[in-house]
Amino acid sequence: MTYLRPAQISRRGLLTGGLGAAAGLGLAACGSSDSPSGGGSSSGSPVELTIALIPDPPGASEFYRAQFDAFEAANPGITIKVVENPSDQQLSAIELMFQQGNAPDIYRAQAAGFDRMYSRGWARSLEEFVTDDFLSRFPEGSLDPLSSGLHREGELYSIPLVWGKWSAMDLFVYNRSLLSASGFDAAPTTWGEIEEVARAVTTDGGGRVFGMAPEQASGIVRLSRQGVPYSIPGDGINLITGEPDTSNSTMVEAVELMRRMNADGSLITGWESWDGSRSYTEFAAGSFAMYTAQSWHLAEIRKLNPEIDLGIVGAPVPDSGRGSYTPITQHFDPLWSMSAETAHPEESWLVLDFLASEEFYRAYYEQFGTLTAMQTVWEADVQEDPDLSAMFDVAETTMKVVPNPKLASVGGAAILNARAERPELRFTDSALESMVKNEDFAPKAAALDEQLRTFLGEIYASGDASVEDIRFADWDPLQPYDAAS
Amino acid sequence: MDARARRTAAKRREYLWCYLLLLPLLLAFGGFTLWPIVASWWYSFFDWDGVGNPTEWVGLANFAEVLTSPDFWRAFWHSFLFSLVAILIELPLALAFAILLNNGRLRGRNVYRLALFVPVVTTTAVVGIVFVALLDPVRGAVNEALLAIGLVDAPINFLGSTTTALPSVMAIDLWKGFGISLIYWLAALQTVPKDLIEAAQLDGARKGAIVRHVMVPVMAPIAIVIMLLLFQRSLGTFDLVQAMTAGGPVYSTDVVPTFIYRFAFSPEMQAPRYGFACAAGVVFGLLTLALTLLQAPALRYRKRVAA
Repeated sequence: MTYLRPAQISRRGLLTGGLGAAAGLGLAACGSSDSPSGGGSSSGSPVELTIALIPDPPGASEFYRAQFDAFEAANPGITIKVVENPSDQQLSAIELMFQQGNAPDIYRAQAAGFDRMYSRGWARSLEEFVTDDFLSRFPEGSLDPLSSGLHREGELYSIPLVWGKWSAMDLFVYNRSLLSASGFDAAPTTWGEIEEVARAVTTDGGGRVFGMAPEQASGIVRLSRQGVPYSIPGDGINLITGEPDTSNSTMVEAVELMRRMNADGSLITGWESWDGSRSYTEFAAGSFAMYTAQSWHLAEIRKLNPEIDLGIVGAPVPDSGRGSYTPITQHFDPLWSMSAETAHPEESWLVLDFLASEEFYRAYYEQFGTLTAMQTVWEADVQEDPDLSAMFDVAETTMKVVPNPKLASVGGAAILNARAERPELRFTDSALESMVKNEDFAPKAAALDEQLRTFLGEIYASGDASVEDIRFADWDPLQPYDAAS
Repeated sequence: MDARARRTAAKRREYLWCYLLLLPLLLAFGGFTLWPIVASWWYSFFDWDGVGNPTEWVGLANFAEVLTSPDFWRAFWHSFLFSLVAILIELPLALAFAILLNNGRLRGRNVYRLALFVPVVTTTAVVGIVFVALLDPVRGAVNEALLAIGLVDAPINFLGSTTTALPSVMAIDLWKGFGISLIYWLAALQTVPKDLIEAAQLDGARKGAIVRHVMVPVMAPIAIVIMLLLFQRSLGTFDLVQAMTAGGPVYSTDVVPTFIYRFAFSPEMQAPRYGFACAAGVVFGLLTLALTLLQAPALRYRKRVAA
């Protein structure tokens, strides 16, 4: 860290000393708790923990406060101060807190955001706290350090919130009534059918109802993953060859499909300036007929329009047939981490343990309809709820384990982390430009591949990694990948 | 102690008070303006992600990357267009309104002044969000009205099209800042001596001639200051763009401040590029200075007239 660290320690030391003195004077009345689910402050003196989170989905602020109130009641002596940040500012805000010597004890950081925190040494290993009881909450093998997604260098560093497939699945939702009004009694199953249905719904909609919304470039990502290895829309690299492959003909066709639909008006007008919530609010309002939704959108759609005739299927495949599946790169997405600089690791673990408890997972599932990381709290409901059931079916039938270079080798992680630092190498900006300006994508894809080749060449030249770290020549994208073989 | 020494000591005491009273301002200026400027110059020579002390010295590499980046120059062009619109449209339009509202015989002129000034004191982010809703092609009030009166057949994609997004944001920026230009002009109009106007009227000058030959020459030195202020303000437009389009679609409304913000704070960046963002800030500052210096002849004219 920096020169700021001593100031932080001294401030914390002062706080601890002050609290200790207060305890000595008999002001700290709360000792350890007898509650089975609670522990309380390990030192016996009051402890205030700071947790930095993102208050989403809507209603999460109140939910988290109520949950932490319950935690505090079960753990006398521990109070939780919540710091909320908008999702796009969370990482910067946490970094500033660390820099100012005011790091949160627990923070939310997902996916590449977690890697950013870990690479800076700001995440504390949770290995010393893990118990058999903790491990037993998750499906057998899902906390294997090689595939959990929560481990780094063999040690547990993060706690999950959602079911592993929840945030990775590629759902395609549609409004049955709108499709039916245009003469379609089933969802499109191929890209060609998407185009046909979208055009018909738009024509029948008379300028008020449109065929589809593209979710910026996310729609292309979700559709293309049914045709090409996930790493191509993800990082521009084909993991079978280890080569840049944005100009892959199926990848290009996925972009061209969206470009054509935008040009003929089948995509809802104004999608270019939408924020993250507009797709599900407009879908719920009946403004368009279908889109590639994120899983948490379903509950929001139902809240906004309980009567909507909602259909949920897997993402349509290329006209030439399925070429790949939605990837399972890890068992869980990391979410909650403990700060490496916390002065109260035992108390912080109590909070993390609570956030990974059946009680919390059940409450979150019941409040938001999200399939949480502990399957036992929701699996009995799946068959009774048609939305959950359909979603579960999509996850079970359209997702397969894939090779993950980040977990497979240090060199693989080096390449993908370096690629994540170069967002301009991703296809999304070029794809959106093609769609918005109605320009050919193929030349842009070829140019991107050239830039990626240069980028990879620089990494290989540095000796940090080789093409073998990102080449899985034996992988068949239509079969589950077995890392052990 | 002789009388001279006593006078000097008294003067020093007097100055000391002046400096003491200035001290808070100097500290604030040093800490929150001067230091960030100097620090950003220093950081711009490093490949630095904003965490810890910068250690990876890259010399002028960040500057070279900024100067050869088409994205930077596109953003700069957009920022420059904001300034051009402010100077070529907002400035004369505000003058016309100021002359109108300076007329003592105009009924309810204070209400009009207030109405035109209200956008200035309204939070920019709120203005941006409200206009995004108003301009939305799906159920947005503006498009609904245009469709209802038959002016258009299909909704206009104001903020989603690369051809209309920038003019739309510029129009809102003009509306938002119009009140402050108006106030500047109204203040300038107070500097025109009434007897000069009355003398011109006695000589038979018409209204247009009075404006052209009496008011404009008298206000010219102040007009140059207004122009410079407006130019600087418009070149740095950030909050409205960030709230309305965040630079999109496909960077068609990207301005230099949103370009810098993206590299320094974007959540899409695995590691923010503060060093590069600082270099972009320094280059932008120097370009702004150069553009301001291009107006030196106007400033010299102002000095001459003032003398």
